[in-house]
Amino acid sequence: MAKVYRSAVIDAPIGAVWALVRDFNALPKWHPAIATSEIEHGLRSDAVGCVRRFTRKSDGGLLREQLLTLSDRDYTITYNILVSPMPVANYEATMQFIPITHGDRTLAQWWAQFDVTQGPEQDTTTDIGDNVFVVGFAALNARLAGRSGGSK
Amino acid sequence: MTKVFVSAVIDAPIEKVWGKMRDFNGLPDWHPRFSRSHIEDGLRSDTIGCVRNFDITGGAGTIRERLLELSDHEYTMTYCILEAPLPVADYVATLKLYPITVSNQTLGTWTAEFRVIKGSESDVVDAVGNGTFGKAFEVMNQLLAKQK
Repeated sequence: MAKVYRSAVIDAPIGAVWALVRDFNALPKWHPAIATSEIEHGLRSDAVGCVRRFTRKSDGGLLREQLLTLSDRDYTITYNILVSPMPVANYEATMQFIPITHGDRTLAQWWAQFDVTQGPEQDTTTDIGDNVFVVGFAALNARLAGRSGGSK
Repeated sequence: MTKVFVSAVIDAPIEKVWGKMRDFNGLPDWHPRFSRSHIEDGLRSDTIGCVRNFDITGGAGTIRERLLELSDHEYTMTYCILEAPLPVADYVATLKLYPITVSNQTLGTWTAEFRVIKGSESDVVDAVGNGTFGKAFEVMNQLLAKQK
């Protein structure tokens, strides 16, 4: 089982960060690697169990992921992969956000556990950690930084 | 039930911060608000159930707290107050650290839950949240950011 964990400070209050990322259908709005997304069967994107069907910009590759946990209390989203062009199996990931009271900012955390089905494990963990998670944090920060309630 | 939550970025890697903060007997070594500490009954400071007995700087009294949980895996310490010159009951607090991987820094979080049994709730919240927890992160940052 491979594990990857990344975390970064987003220079915006947790309310602003969570409002954007809690929408399970919103990846194309904020993640630069994602082109399109829809929720299958016309479900709401905050209905636990719903499946998002989305495509990568780089190669049009299709992913389907199922929402397993959504918590407005703990600012947590957990999901697993049903279909993906990546060489992974048994993939489950969590995003969790923590308020930083000094400065009114947010800690973003994103981690995943999975089996690598092809090629060196390290290549896949680094790719997911840096090109999916860290790139996502940077995009969130670029989009939301400065939206603090006055204190920075 | 009153809840206090304080968090701050410490400009040092998590192992350095945890190395300082995990010692349940080490508070006076770095926190200016506290002086003199010992663990009762000759126990080690990482023994779950041990009691730390320490003074508030300036002769403002002695505090006794019991260690309820310590995790080097989760960077977490939970303890409760047994005796303190503070008008609180059922006080349980947790210190938890998170690694910030992209910048090799640490987020420190400190949570306490308790009942205020006398006087102003906001005074107690200020003493706990700012005087103890906020100050701890500020001092830890000053102490460790230099030697990064």
